Amino acid sequence: MHTQHFPQLESVELIEQGFESFGYICSRKIATAVFLAFQLRKPILIEGPPGVGKTELAKTIALLLDTPLIRLQCYEGLDEAKALYEWKYGKQLLYTQVLKEKLGDLLQGATGLAESVAKLHQFGDIFYSEEFLEPRPLLKAMQQEKGAILLIDEVDKSDYEFESLLLEILSDYQISIPEIGTVKARTTPMVFLTSNNTRDISDALKRRCLHLYIPFPTVELEERIIRSRVPDANEQLRHQLVEFVHSLRQLDLKKAPAISETIDWARSLVLLHANQLEEELVRSTLNVLLKYEEDIEATDSELRSLLSTSSSDTRTG
Amino acid sequence: MQSNLVDFIQVLRSHDIRVSPAETLDAVGVTTTLGYSDRNLLRDGLAMTLAKTPTEEVIFLDCFDRFFQQDLADFSSSEMPSDQDENKDLDSTGNTAAPTEDFSDSQLSALELASENNPSLESLLQTPLMQNLLNNNRSELTLAINAAAQRVDLQKIQMFTQKGQFTRRILDAMGEEQVRNAVIELERAESPALPVLQRYRDILRQQVRDYVEREYLLHAEGKTQQFMDDILSKTRLNNIEHIYLHKVHELIRKMAKKLASRHSHKRKRLKRGQLNMAKTLRKGIPNDGVMFNTFWRQVKKEKPQILAVCDVSGSVAAYSKFLLLFLYSLQDILPKVRSFAFSSHLGEVSTYFDDYPVEKAIELVNWKYGGATDYGNSLMDFSKLALDDINSNTTVIILGDARNNNGDPKLEILQSIFQRARQVIWLNPESRRAWGSGDSEMLRYQSACHFSAECNNLKQLERIVDQLLKSTR
Repeated sequence: MHTQHFPQLESVELIEQGFESFGYICSRKIATAVFLAFQLRKPILIEGPPGVGKTELAKTIALLLDTPLIRLQCYEGLDEAKALYEWKYGKQLLYTQVLKEKLGDLLQGATGLAESVAKLHQFGDIFYSEEFLEPRPLLKAMQQEKGAILLIDEVDKSDYEFESLLLEILSDYQISIPEIGTVKARTTPMVFLTSNNTRDISDALKRRCLHLYIPFPTVELEERIIRSRVPDANEQLRHQLVEFVHSLRQLDLKKAPAISETIDWARSLVLLHANQLEEELVRSTLNVLLKYEEDIEATDSELRSLLSTSSSDTRTG
Repeated sequence: MQSNLVDFIQVLRSHDIRVSPAETLDAVGVTTTLGYSDRNLLRDGLAMTLAKTPTEEVIFLDCFDRFFQQDLADFSSSEMPSDQDENKDLDSTGNTAAPTEDFSDSQLSALELASENNPSLESLLQTPLMQNLLNNNRSELTLAINAAAQRVDLQKIQMFTQKGQFTRRILDAMGEEQVRNAVIELERAESPALPVLQRYRDILRQQVRDYVEREYLLHAEGKTQQFMDDILSKTRLNNIEHIYLHKVHELIRKMAKKLASRHSHKRKRLKRGQLNMAKTLRKGIPNDGVMFNTFWRQVKKEKPQILAVCDVSGSVAAYSKFLLLFLYSLQDILPKVRSFAFSSHLGEVSTYFDDYPVEKAIELVNWKYGGATDYGNSLMDFSKLALDDINSNTTVIILGDARNNNGDPKLEILQSIFQRARQVIWLNPESRRAWGSGDSEMLRYQSACHFSAECNNLKQLERIVDQLLKSTR
């Protein structure tokens, strides 16, 4: 097992710049986490509300380092056959058929059962061998020559048993296959786990990872994100919409709008040729930001006051 | 600095953050990679290895600020803005600003003048302590306080009542006694240098007091909290004062949550999964490779169901409040908990627990079901309400003292529950010796329980519920 060297990850500042060139604006903390993960060869467990760019972070690193991104989406009932490896049963079946046909030739000259069995044992047993192994994401990540970004998405959705399965991979970068033995990673992959905190992740798993919590961004950071993602939006609109989204997050909503929703909203406002927020416009596009009917209704009644605060902020700011 | 990091981790541990040795090693790795030059960078990096939940992160940031603020002050005292605040007293006599410099010079000369005809004062002024004070040598002074604190084992401070004691001990270790004596002497002589020396003495005392306060917050606050938690969990439930009720509530919640997270993953559900090809092939070998039987990957899952019955009659009133509190927290966290309450008759209270906040729910339950005990009648009600739901996955918990006012205990109902359920558990707040005495039917009821135990403090409750959850796998 050897480790790949990436000049792009030499310092925290370099990482920030690299991310920015791919349109991912991140806080200092995120860049530090990536830097440490790379230096210490540890996985990162990313937690935070949905839509703050947890998955996007792993994707951006794959782009930045130009390495393959191998993604494993977790769900309830995910087991090792889908995550680690599977045997190619069809081929194994064919192999036994072929073996049966060739058996006569192979055992030629052997007299008696004992001698036949002894002869049979001389052939290599390839029924369980790498040739019949179908790699699934985790094993695939171990097999990459030049390293890979392994993204284990929404690990909180998987079963508890699956977490234990991950432990060997996360601490030693190896997988044990009972029939073959231990498969070590050719190059240490960078591992990202994301979690939406629907349940507590076990301490054993947390202990093996760096823990990164990504909260909703600050106004300033979110404006930078919008500037990079939706360059067509003018400055006034950008400021107003970010302020508005931030005031929405203060409300007691079922699902607060995340960065991805802010971006979507900014794009739709640009498509509608808006130069600034107007009440009617906001009302008709609110469904881009809010995903529950009751949230939309709750916001609708307070729309005027929310808008007035966000526009007054513009004047003072 | 490495030992500093270990100290810091000790502090985190005392504030309820669990840090394993492996994480300590990671933290060392972080500090060597990041270095100590950028404080924020180091803070973020350490937070990632040491704090593993958002709540832990808040505690971590707080501890980090307290701990490293002071340590950095050792190295570069004048750059730290917070440091300057603390040393305002010193600054005013210090040599930083011109007008005060003259002032301090005149003070010095007053002292020197007084010391000319006073040999003990003169020798005092030559001590390193006075020299540091006079020359405003802050870093030297901090170091001296540090050393003195080490000598008197300040890190072992546990209770806030010890603060004064430790302050005095540190002052003594630094040789403040000499200063004190000199002040008394000057007082007697009514020397003009008196206020000057008094001032220096006060500055010193203030410094030490601040230092002790800081150390107390770092090392003891967490411990005190833990200490209180321990005491509370060992106190008999009916002795816990009303003012601690909310505190106990927190404790119970913590406990229930711990138990739930330890056991919740054992909830299982039966599911016909994928075809288990390997097994199907293997089992086909005797049939000449014909796959006669198919085998499936099965995920075994079963959901335990808990029915909790709580006595709320007058005889156990003090306990039932806590038992209900516990039930409430448990129902909050574990799925499929049904709660019942009774005294003369029994009814389901799960909906109260779902709909109302805890205080209100308990009050409602007590109001609706409180009264004289009739176990026979209540068991009948229970069998009517829930007997059909009891199966081999069900655990029935009964909380009560089994004092039936000499009525018919209706043991046969409990026996039929006993036969159907996976487990019947009886928790009795009375001590085992009192079971069966007077109108207690406990010994008879006990015969129809898989497990019965005395339960009158939180420690016992925790142990029992843990056992219970283990066996409901």
